Amino acid sequence: MSDKLKDIINKQNEQQESVVEQLDDVVQLVGFMIGDEEYAVPILSIQEIIKPFSWTRVPQVPGYVMGVFNLRGAVIPLIDLRAKFGLQTKKQGEDTRFIVMRHGDDVAGFVIDRLTMAIRIKKENIGPAPDTTNSDDTIIEGVGKQADKIITILKVNKLLERDF
Amino acid sequence: MDEFQEILQDFLVESFELVEKLDEDLVELESNPEDLELLNGIFRVAHTVKGASSFLNFDVLTHLTHHMEDVLNRARHGELTITPDVMDVILESVDLMKALLEKIRDTSSDDGIDVSACVARLDKITGGTGEVETPVAVAPVKETVEETPAQESSSDDEDEIDYDSMSPEEVEAEIERLLSERQEEDRKKREAKIAAGEAVPEMPKAEDEEESKEEPKEEAPKKAAPAPTPAPTVQKQTKKEEPKAAAPAKKAPAQVEQTIRVDVKRLDHLMNLIGELVLAKNRLIKINDDVEERYEGEEFLEELNQVVSIVSLVTTDLQIAVMKTRMLPIGKVFNKFPRMIRDLSRELNKKIELVISGEDTELDKSIVEEIGDPLVHIIRNSCDHGIELPEERVAKGKPEMGTIALKAYNEGNQIVIQIDDDGKGLDPEMLKSKSLEKGIITEKEADSMSDKEAYTLIFRPGFSTAAQVTNVSGRGVGMDVVKTNIEKLNGMIDIDSEVGKGTSMKLKIPLTLAIIQALLVGVQEEYYAIPLASVLETVRISKDEIYTVEGKSVMRLRDEVLSLVHIGDIFEVERILDASEHAYVVVLGLGTSKLGLIVDTLVGQEEIVIKSLGDYLKGIEGIAGATIRGDGGVTLIVDVVALMDIAKNVKVSALSEDQNSAVSKEKTKPSDYVVMIVDDSKTDRLIMRKALEPMGITLVEAGDGQEALNILKAGDYNFDAMLIDIEMPRMDGYSLASEIKKYNRYKNLPLIAVTSRTSKSDRMRGVESGMVEYITKPYSADYLASVVQRNVNFKSEFL
Repeated sequence: MSDKLKDIINKQNEQQESVVEQLDDVVQLVGFMIGDEEYAVPILSIQEIIKPFSWTRVPQVPGYVMGVFNLRGAVIPLIDLRAKFGLQTKKQGEDTRFIVMRHGDDVAGFVIDRLTMAIRIKKENIGPAPDTTNSDDTIIEGVGKQADKIITILKVNKLLERDF
Repeated sequence: MDEFQEILQDFLVESFELVEKLDEDLVELESNPEDLELLNGIFRVAHTVKGASSFLNFDVLTHLTHHMEDVLNRARHGELTITPDVMDVILESVDLMKALLEKIRDTSSDDGIDVSACVARLDKITGGTGEVETPVAVAPVKETVEETPAQESSSDDEDEIDYDSMSPEEVEAEIERLLSERQEEDRKKREAKIAAGEAVPEMPKAEDEEESKEEPKEEAPKKAAPAPTPAPTVQKQTKKEEPKAAAPAKKAPAQVEQTIRVDVKRLDHLMNLIGELVLAKNRLIKINDDVEERYEGEEFLEELNQVVSIVSLVTTDLQIAVMKTRMLPIGKVFNKFPRMIRDLSRELNKKIELVISGEDTELDKSIVEEIGDPLVHIIRNSCDHGIELPEERVAKGKPEMGTIALKAYNEGNQIVIQIDDDGKGLDPEMLKSKSLEKGIITEKEADSMSDKEAYTLIFRPGFSTAAQVTNVSGRGVGMDVVKTNIEKLNGMIDIDSEVGKGTSMKLKIPLTLAIIQALLVGVQEEYYAIPLASVLETVRISKDEIYTVEGKSVMRLRDEVLSLVHIGDIFEVERILDASEHAYVVVLGLGTSKLGLIVDTLVGQEEIVIKSLGDYLKGIEGIAGATIRGDGGVTLIVDVVALMDIAKNVKVSALSEDQNSAVSKEKTKPSDYVVMIVDDSKTDRLIMRKALEPMGITLVEAGDGQEALNILKAGDYNFDAMLIDIEMPRMDGYSLASEIKKYNRYKNLPLIAVTSRTSKSDRMRGVESGMVEYITKPYSADYLASVVQRNVNFKSEFL
């Protein structure tokens, strides 16, 4: 009896381990468009995705910091990723979203042009950031290769870091 | 050792409180050496600390307090008179006691502070030889157990012996005796019970302890367990003396108030929650107003009104109540000053009396903590520079004894701390020449300075009026710190002085920091909140009243010249809207400086909760934080201190608006012309469209004024003309026209009214609101087209 039990338990353990292994291999990301490029951030670093609403301008900050907005009682900075990546600012449209990202205690909202989809990507398909940008300062975590395209994966902690 | 730590904490908290009061009492005692009741109080403090510390095995502290107690006990029985010399020794020992307590707090041991010298002196006073052995501190262990039974039941003595007349040693011996009697009895009873086969329901402590004494090794972790009992016993013992000792006196013996200690973090959390509630309340009030407007006269409105007002009332009360839990009487800070004045006057050879009033006035804890240092500086300064030497005073016909009055009182939403001295006063001319000498001000500034401004010079860094630097003050750091600290609390300083009569300084400080009253101001389409505590007044001025002096804007306010700065220049606000002929000036006062802030509109006063902007945006100059308004939007809070700094560097910006309004591009084809049709009727819009389409121009439609305004604001099109119906829901044509005319870039946009209203007054209103043409329905398509062509300067080649 106890041998049987052991067998079962062992099997279960093996299964669980393999599941864990699978999970370990796969990274879940949320993809979005800024300009013509597709970017992605880890799904766990996203607190929520909301439709745009009004914000308050804050003086004496770089152009890409649009200001602050009220997220259920918390005052959160709003950053325009288009401007941050050096693209021309565009009117907010139907597809514009605020992605609220969190890393530790740092929270900020980011304006993106359009959401694409949630992506599961195997770790082995993620390459390092291109050499030219490969310094500690880069906000690129790596490049995800998919069948028909590549996706730039961003470092959330770098995005949330104040750089002015 | 957890429980030991707990007891230690209680011991420290209690001791610090006692010692704090001790200082005050001792100084009073010196002037009033016969006050038996005071003496008793002081004796009790020494005794209580002694008892508790011996229990906790702080030998050095026990040793010291024991000798203090001796001296005080003699004084209490009239065997010793308190002379200033004796007092010096006692005060010294109190200082040592404080040092020891601090040491214990930091290291849990009273090791390392040498008390022998002081103890020797104390001993001499009591007639001893001064040769006393000082014990060395040992880690607090074991002995606790032995002491506990001794003190445990000391409270239930039955015999009415006059303990007052006994020396503490005798009292303790008596207690010891009674106790052993009692224990003996108990044990006998128990033994009898056990012998009778009865179960003993609860192990009396004494036995427990005896066991642990017998088996010290096994029971080691339990040792601290019985400890909580004796701590209160010590107090009981002292309290019991009170009624007997209490002679009819003006001051009641320190009555222990009914209190609980609460972690400040919990209060902070509570305060945060209240903050959220206040925000929600503001929002509710706003919604209520909106609903009222919309459903005027409906019955449920009254009920809603009631609920809203109750919620808002209770919230306000709740907020005040919670705020009060964080309040401490300012006496906590004032307490240390009598001692300070005493020391200072001896050091400086001056005679100074400190008169304190209003020590019950309450302030937020965080402010109480911040206010101490500035007050120390001010009072030191008064003693050193203000009050003259006794001879000088007599020569001037003043009483020999100088007076410093320290007063606290509430004034509206602020607390005022006033420090008056009857010293020599501030001499504005002297202050000016001194500042000139030190290069703090220029000659020009000195000439234009009023007396009041000259007084504020003492707050400049690097300023010191003392002819010679003393130990007390005159190093030129103090008063500058005062100003910074007070400003940090959003407070103001007001100085008044008369040469030969004295100086009066008023510190005005807001009651609390987290929730504040603010003045909301508007500039263009943005709003900012200014802490009301820093707002002195607001004035409405016309543009002609603003003068430019040396590249700065100034205005005349009564008999003062006030420098001005436009809020838009500080916060880089884009000038979209047309500035009107009038502007509002918010006069800000901080510490001793003043500044006029020009704003476009005053919105009103509102209670706001300060929220931080977070790490990402912290440290933005001029912004102290943000708050959430009733409509859910975020409004930034102005940091008045920083704003004043920024203002110094802002060059005048002519209030005239930049004329860089979008230059209309060259039209190369008919579709470059854009015209908006605003009409609530779809048919009418279609008729207009049909009339204008043949021209080939681009047409944009809007269903009402609000929609039209939104399209304009979005800025997707560069309109050349607008056709506007008058009768429309939400926003009618007249209001739309006047709204549009507020924007600089649309000042010259031709607005054409298309309406069936034909009366002369309608036409007049149209002109007033900025319409250039007035077309009455019905009209022919050609007529409409020709009016539009004329107004957009339609090029003839496109026809």
